[in-house]
Amino acid sequence: MIEAFTDVFPSFFGTLNRGPMTLTIFLHTLIVLPMFFIYFSEKKKIERGEPDE
Amino acid sequence: MEERPTSVWSSTRFWRKSAGWVTGVSALLLIWLSVDTVAQISMGTDEDMQAKKPMRIFPSTVINHKVTYEYDAKRGHEVPVIGEKEAFFGRSDYSPEEADALLRHGKLTVQAKNCMSCHTLLGNGGYFAPDLTKAWLDPAWSESGPYMAMTGTATREEAMAKFMMHPSTYPTHARRMPELGITEDEAKAIVAFLKHMASIDTNGFPRNFAKMNGGVNAK
Repeated sequence: MIEAFTDVFPSFFGTLNRGPMTLTIFLHTLIVLPMFFIYFSEKKKIERGEPDE
Repeated sequence: MEERPTSVWSSTRFWRKSAGWVTGVSALLLIWLSVDTVAQISMGTDEDMQAKKPMRIFPSTVINHKVTYEYDAKRGHEVPVIGEKEAFFGRSDYSPEEADALLRHGKLTVQAKNCMSCHTLLGNGGYFAPDLTKAWLDPAWSESGPYMAMTGTATREEAMAKFMMHPSTYPTHARRMPELGITEDEAKAIVAFLKHMASIDTNGFPRNFAKMNGGVNAK
């Protein structure tokens, strides 16, 4: 599942890219998870009745 | 009646924040990725090559050496191996400055003659003519291939240079290369450029070059 790191030069993204979907899952998690936070914080603001700009 | 959105999905601020987050993070990731890959795409120095330090792009002085490929079981594909000194147009003592100038002349000629409108170089270019990425390793240019005899030359580099200067005179393929008016100096520089390009560690790309008999594992 996780393959050995065989690149000529060690690099952060090369380290993540170690098997099927490993880099993709990392990047999507990084981008999508905070969007849940944005969603729920905006929901709270709306429920409190704060005007939408 | 109070007019305010009841759903987050219709909130302008939510979409603005989300778009800002996704765009910002993606931009930062791309910048980071560029920095992260600098080591992979930087050309090594002559001293580092002599010291056998790992590198993907060998210095221009690689033209003084034999270039071959060997299968690396750990990486799962062929990797370049820079061997002993090998004469290139009768010399194997090109200084870094001389070799740099030769490669630069070769690159400029390749661009000026628009080789990529037919040939592919490192994955870019046309598919009408053979891929030139590892052309230097092609056994067709070796003693066992037809080109040396056809051009009446004794070495691989001379055969390639002579062919390039008058390609339409040699029966090679139904699609013959046109006469591009390449001079002797330009031809020599292009061959140096091709030899250097063949030494670049391209992660086993193009996929079928390893099947070149004699080009790979040719000690």
